[in-house]
This record gives sequence, C-alpha cells and structure tokens, in this order.
Amino acid sequence: MDWTSLTLSLELAAWTVAILLPVSVLGGRWLAYGRFRAKGAVEALVMLPLVLPPTVFGFYLLLAFGRNSPVGAFWQETFGHQLVFTFEGLVVASVIFNLPFAIQPAQRGFEAIAVDLREAAATCGMSPWRSLWKVELPLAWPGLMTAMVLTFAQTLGEFGIVLMGGGSIPGETKTVAIAIYDRVQGFDMQGAGIMSAALVAISFSAIAITYGLSARVGRRLA
Amino acid sequence: MPVLFCRRHLLAALSSLMLSAAPASAQNEAPVIAAASDLQFAVTEIAAAFTAETGHEVRLSFGSTGNFATQIREGAPFQMFMAADQKFIADLHAEGLTRDEGVLYAEGRLALMAPKGSALQPDAALDNLAALLEAGTLTRFAIANPEHAPYGLRAQEALQHRGLWEEIKPFLILGENVSQTAQFALSGNAEGGIVALSLALAPEVAAQGDHALIPADWHAPLMQRMVLLRDAGPAAEAFYAYVQQPKAREIMVRYGFVLPDEG
Amino acid sequence: MTLKVALRADVPIPLDVAFSVAPGELVALVGHSGSGKTTILRAIAGLWQPEEARVTVAGAVWLDSAAKVALPAHRRHVGMVFQNYALFPHMTAAGNVMAAMERPDRAEALRLLDLVNLHGFADRKPAQLSGGQQQRVALARALARKPAALLLDEPFSAVDRATRERLHAEILALRAHLAMPMILVTHDMNEAQLLADRMVVIERGRVVREGTTAAVMADPDALRAMGIREVAAMLPVTVEGADEDGLTRLDAATGPLYLPGVDSAPGTRLRVRIMAHEVILSRDRPVGLSAQNILPCTVTAIRAGDGPGVMVHLAVGADEIVASITRRAAAQLALQPGDTAHAILKSMSVARDHITGAGRT
Repeated sequence: MDWTSLTLSLELAAWTVAILLPVSVLGGRWLAYGRFRAKGAVEALVMLPLVLPPTVFGFYLLLAFGRNSPVGAFWQETFGHQLVFTFEGLVVASVIFNLPFAIQPAQRGFEAIAVDLREAAATCGMSPWRSLWKVELPLAWPGLMTAMVLTFAQTLGEFGIVLMGGGSIPGETKTVAIAIYDRVQGFDMQGAGIMSAALVAISFSAIAITYGLSARVGRRLA
Repeated sequence: MPVLFCRRHLLAALSSLMLSAAPASAQNEAPVIAAASDLQFAVTEIAAAFTAETGHEVRLSFGSTGNFATQIREGAPFQMFMAADQKFIADLHAEGLTRDEGVLYAEGRLALMAPKGSALQPDAALDNLAALLEAGTLTRFAIANPEHAPYGLRAQEALQHRGLWEEIKPFLILGENVSQTAQFALSGNAEGGIVALSLALAPEVAAQGDHALIPADWHAPLMQRMVLLRDAGPAAEAFYAYVQQPKAREIMVRYGFVLPDEG
Repeated sequence: MTLKVALRADVPIPLDVAFSVAPGELVALVGHSGSGKTTILRAIAGLWQPEEARVTVAGAVWLDSAAKVALPAHRRHVGMVFQNYALFPHMTAAGNVMAAMERPDRAEALRLLDLVNLHGFADRKPAQLSGGQQQRVALARALARKPAALLLDEPFSAVDRATRERLHAEILALRAHLAMPMILVTHDMNEAQLLADRMVVIERGRVVREGTTAAVMADPDALRAMGIREVAAMLPVTVEGADEDGLTRLDAATGPLYLPGVDSAPGTRLRVRIMAHEVILSRDRPVGLSAQNILPCTVTAIRAGDGPGVMVHLAVGADEIVASITRRAAAQLALQPGDTAHAILKSMSVARDHITGAGRT
C-alpha cells in the first residue's frame, strides 16, 4: 500500500477543488446570467478539455508550460525549477482540465434560478454580492455540489495527464492511479488490488458523504 | 441560519483538510532516477542495497526509455537516467542535457516468453512460434512498442531475422514499455511475447511463465547506458558509482544482464 | 416626495411617456398587454434602462440619461410586488420580509405581516402558503424597505377572483398607512377603478389619457382601447341593513340600492361600481318593473361619440354616474342637461367584486 501516492492524489484533488470552487461560483454565475455576444465561444472554450483525450491534453500542457515555453522559462527564472513534472504543475493541469466539470453544473444551477427572484432581490435592496450570498447560493448550491464532487472524483482518478506531464516522481507526481499502474507492471497484483480498492472506497465514501450531507441540508431548506 | 451553520462546517472541514495537507512538494531530498522498464526488478534490488549500505534514499521511476528521453527534454527533474539503449543517451548528450557521455552498465538480452499452459512452448530458435503462425492458430503476440522502447525495436529485428515479421505483424499487441509487454504476454490474452530477459527471470514473473533466451546475434545489441543529468546531486552521484560496483553488478548478473567488460 | 417619470425609448418597444405620482396617491397604469406599462414600471424600478429617461423621487435622482446617472435597482429605494410573487423559496415569510431590511428586525417583520393579515404565518415557507397569502408576504416585503415608491406589477392577476376581492379590500384598508407614491400596473379596469386615485392610460407606449379615475372611467374615448363596456362610475353608499330575502339596502345620495350578498355591517361606507351599459334611463319614475334600484338623478352632460351611442353623465346628489344609451333613445326622451331623470339598475347587474370599501375618500 503506497500511502504517499494516495495522499498525493487526495492533496491534488483537494487543491483542485479549493481553487475551482470560486471559479465555479463566479464563472458559472457569469455565464448563467450573461448576455453577450461571445458567450457561445466562451462556453465552447470551457468545454474544450472534455473533447481532448487526457494524454493529448497532457501533451499540449507540456508544450505550453514546458521548458521551452515562456511560462516554463519564467518559472525556471523565478523558482529555480520547472513547473512541469512537479505537484504544482499537476495542480495547474488539473484545474484547467476540470474547468468543464466545475463550471457547467454550476452554470446550470444558477440558470435554474428564476429571473424574477433575482429581480426581487435587487428591488429588496440587495447588492449583487448580498444577492449571491443570501438568495442565489442557497438555491444554486446543488449544482455547485455536483461540480465539486465531479471535479474531486475526476481528479482522484486522473491518469493520462499525470502520465504525460507528471513523470511519475514518487512523492511529487506519482499519484495513486500511476502507482497502481506501476504495481501492475511490476507484477505486484496484490498491491495493485489493495490500492485500487482503497481508491474506490475513498472516492465512493467522499461522494456518498457529500450527497448525504447535501440531502440533509436540502431537507432543511425545503 | 441553521443552514448557513452547516455549510460553514463543511467549508471549515475542507479548508482544514487543505491546510494540513499543504503540498508535499516541498523539495524532497531523494533524487529521482529514471530507469528503463527492463530494470524494474534489478534496480529496485540495487537501490534497496544502496540505501541499506549508505543510508541515502533514491526515488525510482520506471518507464519506456523513449518516453523518459522526451520528458528529460521537457525539463523533467530526473538526476540520473538508466536507458535501455545508448542512442538515447547520445542524443541527450548532444543536446547538452547530460553531464557527460555516461557509461555502459549492462547489455540486455531478449527472451521469448509464454504463460504456463500456453499453446506456445518457448524455444530459442522460435520454431514453435513459426509453427503456430503456419497453422494459423496464433491469436496475439506481445512486443514493446518499437517506436520508443528499445526492447521493442530489438524484438522486431529478431523477428525480422527469423523471417516472421511480416506474417506476425497483424497479431502484434504493443506494450508501452517492456514491463507492460510482459503483462500482456502473461495475461492469457496472448500466446506469449518477446520481453527483456531481466523481467523473465524475476521470481514474480518466472512463476507465471516459461521463457527461452533469444540468440544475441539476431538483433542489434542492447547496449544499456546510464548517465548523470545536469542537476545531479551527491546522492545521485553516489548511486551512479554504486551501480558500477561489485555488489550491484552481481545483482545485474542474476537478472540475466551481460556486464560490459565481460562481453 | 413626488415621483416624476419621463421615459423615451425605441427598443424593445417604442416608449414615450411622462407623468408624476404624488405621495400617498395610487396611480393605475392601464393598457393592453404589450402596451408598455410593465416596461415602464421596470424602468422605474431599475430593472431596465431606456435610452432617454429621467426618474426622480423626492428630489433624489434615480435615473437621468442626460446626466449619465443610473442607480442600479438595489440602490433605488423602491418596493416592488411582482405578478408571480417572486418570494425566496428557501426563506420563511418572516425571512422574506427581513430580506428587504438593512438590519433584519423580526419584530418589525411580524408587525408588517400582521398588517397584511398574515398573523401566525411568519414561519411558513412560500410552498406552504396559498397564492393570496404569498402575495401578501410579497407586499409586506415591499413595504419592509420603507420605500420611496411602491410599484405593483399586475399583482393580483395570478390569484383567483375571490382572493382578488379580498386583496383589493386589504389594499384599500392599507392605504391609510401608506404615504408614498404608488403605481399599480393592471389590465383589469375594475381593479383600477376600485383602487386608484388617478389613471394613466397607455396605448402603444404612449400616454393617451391621464386624469382622475372618475373622469377617465367615464370617458369612452379614453377607454377606446380597453373597450366601451368598461366605462363605469363609482357610487358611494352607506350600508343600512340586510333584509331577510338576501338583499342588502345601501343608501346612496338620492335613494336606496338593493344589492345581493353584501356582508358589511350597518353604517359601513362602501363604493359600488356601476357599469354604464347596465344603466337604463327613464324620465318619470317607472312602475311595475322588476328592477329594484331606481335612483332619481339630474342630467349634467351628454357626450356623443362616432357610433350610435351616447354617454349620459348624471348627478346623484353630489356623486356622479354614467349611462350608455343609444342616440335614438336620447332623442326619444329628449334629454337635455339639467333635466331630471331616473337611473334604473337591476340588483343582479352588480357583480360582487364591483363593491368595495370606501378607500381614502
């Protein structure tokens, strides 16, 4: 049982969710309410990572942030090492790849709020921020919850991107999915089996707990 | 208000999880060694011995030589690279990414392998394989991907030498590296495959399959070269030296490698 | 404290209106769907911005396109009641009312809910309230903000008739507590006549008539768009008492009216909406008619239109009613301003929701 890789995967998932939560709220809300000409283009752009196979995505990220790119050069200057093949690099990749999972359900959640509720909030004297906090979030939170659960689960299982742009460095980029892959290649079926079961158990419990909690909160709101 | 409370609890839980799990990316001291997949078992043993003797830790990453070369070009933070073919080392050296030209640490050998109970009985001349092809009963055969795995390219050469390449091509399944190839070969979904001898000899693998050593003159030699990369630190240097010493060499021999000066 | 409105726009519909509403006054904006009345209300609320506009309340400028001032809706001190209530489903009634307050004050919220006759409903969620109750909460919420102007956008069109009647009565009762300018958008002429002090008739984005309710409702030209059958007058009466056979006697200035099903206590002052096309005129007091209501009156004016009808304005004491009769009939009766006549009305002609409280008069 490779605890390091398991904790690494959990950290990666936690950081991705933490970073994407405000993006989900603000981005989803902006797209839900916005009426601007480029809206279709923005939505398509957000969906793009879904269209690309993870390995292709990882490949493009390697090109975009690798040693020979402006970002890579800047990172090297500033921090003394590369962005790719590090945990931070995985977080960046994970955040970008999970944008569709984070934004789309949130957008639907906000869209489901009737327009006259928002207008009523405005005529009640609520500023957009107050309206977000007191009216919109309490109504849109199921969409946000779905977004975060999808992001978390998707990141825990992420393989292709990590394979391409991670380097399988123990304690840094060797996530549990990679570790399982390695175990299989090392003919350690038992180890692979144990870690797979652990991954499934953790993902399942995380999702079950989240939905359980949300059902309870939902009952209070109903 | 009760609703807000519950949500605050959730938020508090999440943030404390994050804070306590601040990224472990704080510079880990142990250097990362990129090693070709055929070294899976041999180098794991060598590294354990190294750590026991010197107290230095190393982190190992196994994969296809070609993939590692690409990653190193892209800035992967490996400190040492043990390739399965010296050409990749030469290219990296030409690009200034290595400290020097490196050193030959072993010569690899090919093995024909088949799971126990397979229709294919491994023999060094590949006659049984030819027979299966003739009879039309071969369904799948595993080799590593010749495009980036040296053992795959050598397997192709061996099959070409034996005159079976064209016939067997439609039945090939390609492993991403030679470890995965061994996986495929023993999975029961193929009659067998050509893998690294070092893998076939590993106890875990030998328990599941039989093998035969393929003659070395059927393919270009697998000159396995290793090199320290530009940012190599003292621990990596120590390991680099250790691999060339008797204890490590003895482990390599046990896994079927031919040592350079023994030819 | 007066609300002054001037709006002009080309999209999404052409608009060109200007009017004002005094504090404590309830002005009805009437017109067909698509006439622009809701758009006007939304512009005042800040939910929509026309090309050229100026909206001021008590000197505070909410919108002035020339000066490039446009306060967002949440900064205008407006209270708005929506057609579909727009209550926040996740908050209780009290919660909804407090949402409009700067500093949530539950005691004040309860007081407002009492004011709209929802005592004891404070902790119910909107899903547990009927349409009429929800609209009352919406009203309480609009008032919670102590708004400088109260805007009502077809507030009773989503409830059933009986509930609407009750809500009309409550609004009238509430008027005593409301000192701000109020605008009611409605396409229901009965509602407009019952509740409003003044009316602004909107047709295709323009004001076609403006004036007191009595004047506008008696003017077929003004109501051309809404239909001549809406012409009516409100007659003040006092309840005298209920008779055993189900009719209630109501005393008007010049005589009694007998109407069915009026529940109010003796002495209550009410107003009855008398539709012009329901009134029959005769010079002498008729006998042998089934109609129970015969009111002596004096002809004050006769207005002819383009068609075969004329509108006869009649004084009933100090009050006024109108009768819509044919020109032929007017000629046959040789009616002239100053003549005495009798207005005849069937008891069954007056609808239940055409009788309402005295209002502010």
